[in-house]
Amino acid sequence: MTIAIPATQAVARRKLGAMSPGTAIVVYTLLALWTLIVLFPLYWVAITSLKEPIDVSTGPYYLPFVDFQPSLHAWRYIFVDLANDTFRPYMNSVIVAFISTTLAMLAGSMAAYALARFTYKPKIGIILLFILLVALVVAAVMHWSVDWRIASASGLALFFLIGRAVAGRLRRSVGNSDILFWMISQRILPPVVAAIPIYVMFQRLGMLDTHPALILTYMTVNLPIVVWLMYDFFVGIPKDLEESAQLDGAGRFRIFFGIVLPLSKAGLAATSLLVLIMAWNEYLLALFLSTAHAQTIPLLVAAQNATRGPQWWYMSVLIIIMILPVMALALALQRFIASGLLLGAVKG
Amino acid sequence: MTIRLDRISKSFGALTVLQELSLTVEPGEFLVLLGESGCGKTTALRMIAGLESVTSGRIEINGREVTDVAPKDRDVAMVFQSYALYPHMTVAENIGYPLKIRQAPNSEIQARVREVAAQVQLDPLLGRYPRQLSGGQRQRVALARAIIRRPAVFLMDEPLSNLDAKLRGHMRAELKHMQHDLGVTTIYVTHDQIEAMTLAHRVALLDHGRLQQLGPPAEIYNDPDNLFVAGFIGSPPMNFLKGALKAGRFEAPGIVIGTPIRGEAANAVAGIRPEDCALAAAGAGDLDAEIYSTELIGDHVLVTCQREAQTIAIKAPKDYSADIGAQVGIRLNPQSLYFFDGTDGRRVR
Repeated sequence: MTIAIPATQAVARRKLGAMSPGTAIVVYTLLALWTLIVLFPLYWVAITSLKEPIDVSTGPYYLPFVDFQPSLHAWRYIFVDLANDTFRPYMNSVIVAFISTTLAMLAGSMAAYALARFTYKPKIGIILLFILLVALVVAAVMHWSVDWRIASASGLALFFLIGRAVAGRLRRSVGNSDILFWMISQRILPPVVAAIPIYVMFQRLGMLDTHPALILTYMTVNLPIVVWLMYDFFVGIPKDLEESAQLDGAGRFRIFFGIVLPLSKAGLAATSLLVLIMAWNEYLLALFLSTAHAQTIPLLVAAQNATRGPQWWYMSVLIIIMILPVMALALALQRFIASGLLLGAVKG
Repeated sequence: MTIRLDRISKSFGALTVLQELSLTVEPGEFLVLLGESGCGKTTALRMIAGLESVTSGRIEINGREVTDVAPKDRDVAMVFQSYALYPHMTVAENIGYPLKIRQAPNSEIQARVREVAAQVQLDPLLGRYPRQLSGGQRQRVALARAIIRRPAVFLMDEPLSNLDAKLRGHMRAELKHMQHDLGVTTIYVTHDQIEAMTLAHRVALLDHGRLQQLGPPAEIYNDPDNLFVAGFIGSPPMNFLKGALKAGRFEAPGIVIGTPIRGEAANAVAGIRPEDCALAAAGAGDLDAEIYSTELIGDHVLVTCQREAQTIAIKAPKDYSADIGAQVGIRLNPQSLYFFDGTDGRRVR
């Protein structure tokens, strides 16, 4: 992840410039060492993809042409022999990750904007009423085998009727910060706890091993993160700008898409990259929800550790083609993740 | 376009920021809402703009009630203290934005942008971004964006307060000239009394959410309705002496002054402006005091005298000089004395 924090960077730069030569040598040596530590696994993956199985098992060998003779056999196997069995999961990953990220960004930033700009005061009593009625509807469908359409329609009707009747008398309510915290709290739950109910739900709906199942799941899982991160960006935008646009005649959606989002490019780029990487690398939920047709690339990587033992060379090829697009995207988005976007908006 | 505020109030929970403000702004008038920060002037302006809801009362613009009308449908343009320029748009795009939203044809937008930019001398800067402009230039962009729509009303919220003193004086003159040229009804919020006095046709002075006085600058200055107005307007501020007003005489320890005012107040405050006091030899004036400091301002010397822990400021001729600590007499012009009831601040006439 490369989320630049420009202020901190500037401070760091000033300090580096002011260092004495002795300190500079120590600092740069440490940095160089750390760079090696970070980059070595990538190098190892790259050379492993070029090794014959025998070189892997008798190794370690570090330098191609010196220690071992590189070969393209693993690449040939993945791209020629497996061919569609590689490309299909790859395309699945592309489709699922990009669509779920787009949807999560769209819904999440709108929710974050609403939380940043409007005041909500849902009454605690109404929330409890809703939960109670949901429980009743579920019980009605499960135990008294009421048709689910009738049950949910009556539940909804009851909710509005009772809600209208008692809303005026309820005092205690929650605020925006409570809603925001509730959103974030959804990520406290270990995903594996939710995996089985999600599996059962899609099984009942007949949607297992389909793109929509994965897209919907990833979107939902990533939504709290989008809301959380984008909220901070939106709160930072001066209200004057939006009020000015309001007076200039722009409606809420126009302000959001025409003023707020362009000014949040940095936040959008950083957040969508983070969310995309999370969807791209997701393994556990994909394992539950997909088998053959909608299988994603992390599953294919894991599958190389099968009955014949870990096929490091094939795995390495897959890892390389898996990280390349994300790296390219991170580099492409880097220029947006910069400061100064709001410069000149207000004052000097 | 006439703007009528009819007893508008604004409360945030238990806190009342504006209390029953009523006033009418005439077509083409430049009205200034003046007051210290927190007096409710900006809230009043935002209520007229529609950015703040009205707790009670009604607002009319041009005979139409707009109390609950959305800001964009009120035909008002506002210049914000922060200018609120869109940082991701060029100067031309910023100025043209209100027209773009109203889906004016591109050719018309461009022509109008050029026309308005020329009016505020921005034409060479149309391709720049706000971050590449100086404070004064940003101010002009904000003005141009307000002008381009030819709105019924201009609302300005301390538009000059972010500029340095020299530029502020220059922009003040420009604003006044521009408002005169365009003839657009303008409501202008400021805490700076010089701005208020120089720009306004009429000034509305607010304190703690209440309208204290509404009138032309000269009237506010020469005929203050109460102690607050008298003390707020004028720099240096009016001198105040505590005493009793009875049977045409103001009496305080060591002072007895006759006055044509017939009103009475046991707990009275007499006010007199520094320019209505004159220095005399000790014992020859209406009261005696000791020189505390003298400051040469340029066209006059500001003499501060001290008397029983009270200071009195006097504008003396520019060649006046005296030693600190010297005893002097102060003569007060009885025609220029104002009297107020010390308990409620009301003017006694």
